[in-house]
Amino acid sequence: MLVVVVSNAPPRLRGRLSAWLVEVRAGVYVGDYSARTREMIWEQVLAGLDKGDAVMVWKAPTDQGYDFVTAGQNRRMPVDFDGLKLVSFFPEPPSR
Amino acid sequence: MSEGNLPGLAPPRPISLKDRSSLVFVERAQLDVADGAFVAVNADGTRTQIPVGGLAGIMLEPGARISHAAVALAARVGTLITWIGEGGVRLYSAGQPGGARSDRLLWQASIALDDAARLRVVRKMFALRFGEEAPSRRSIDQLRGIEGVRVRESYTLLARQYGVDWRRRSYDPKDWEAGDVPNRCLSAATACLHGLTEAAVLAAGYAPAIGFLHTGKPLSFVYDIADLYKLETVVPEAFRIAGQAGKGRLDMAPDRAVRLACRDAFRRTGLLKRIIPAIEEVLSAGNLPRPEPPPEAVSPAFPDAPPTGDAGHR
Repeated sequence: MLVVVVSNAPPRLRGRLSAWLVEVRAGVYVGDYSARTREMIWEQVLAGLDKGDAVMVWKAPTDQGYDFVTAGQNRRMPVDFDGLKLVSFFPEPPSR
Repeated sequence: MSEGNLPGLAPPRPISLKDRSSLVFVERAQLDVADGAFVAVNADGTRTQIPVGGLAGIMLEPGARISHAAVALAARVGTLITWIGEGGVRLYSAGQPGGARSDRLLWQASIALDDAARLRVVRKMFALRFGEEAPSRRSIDQLRGIEGVRVRESYTLLARQYGVDWRRRSYDPKDWEAGDVPNRCLSAATACLHGLTEAAVLAAGYAPAIGFLHTGKPLSFVYDIADLYKLETVVPEAFRIAGQAGKGRLDMAPDRAVRLACRDAFRRTGLLKRIIPAIEEVLSAGNLPRPEPPPEAVSPAFPDAPPTGDAGHR
């Protein structure tokens, strides 16, 4: 199982992801591929992301049962919480 | 929100232990409930949600603070919260404090009180632990002696395998820093296993204090069950990390490295799936019937909803 979520991504990347994955909601792509294909898809995301941000989640033999990577900046960023991979939600930067 | 409820949503219920991740250690954070979620809040306002119901237990290190609402939510989802001191030494726990199932407690106690049944349980634990029948016609004391020798031999063997300078198991619970690195690794590893096992014993509905080989401690039965898996899971990890620390190949504190390695070992060995069935198997070896409630006993006026998690979850 493999899920990719992109936000603020250029249309050409979204079209490219649709070549392998099903877009079940805006920017949410689902599929089931091997580790090698997963890495290929992630390379495509990195190459086409521009100023957007993305996360990819897949089933993995960790304590949690899954793993994920992110690219770009989002207020939610992954943190290592005592070896557990969690997500920190950062406060809004002060507006000037 | 103080109850961890959201308007329009039924309160959360426990899930079974086998579906959970193992443990998380929390150091220097403020644990609270926000929008019904269990969150760690930093001084700068960063919030990290912890999937509390998906964990067997949360170990709070010195420096962690937890709110009433957060403890209430952990209790609702059946997650054990343990306050620990330096080096993972258990101080106090809450969440599912046991005693939820009198039928199971009475069964466990009846086996512990019957010398023949207790010996059968101890022999079963021996068989599970070493993968062979215990030698026949031995007393519990003699079996304990045989186990001790075997454990010491395993320690020596593992120390040699990972190049660890090992003399003997020794530690001072009052002075954590006094122990050598291999002993501290072993203490951190067993603390992990004991935390997880305590969660399992409580989830299964039994009393942590009623042990069979061990006795006289609040967690005697936890030590009994943890010993079934100790040599298989956490001890090799402790020696492996101690070996790496000895060679200067470790980029973090040894006890932290041990904890991470233990968590991986729990996953790899499927411990959370196996541990409650093993508790049942060990007690069934006592070969005593489960007690029926006395006929004149008064049944509850308001029956509870059936448990959603394990038998011991409320």
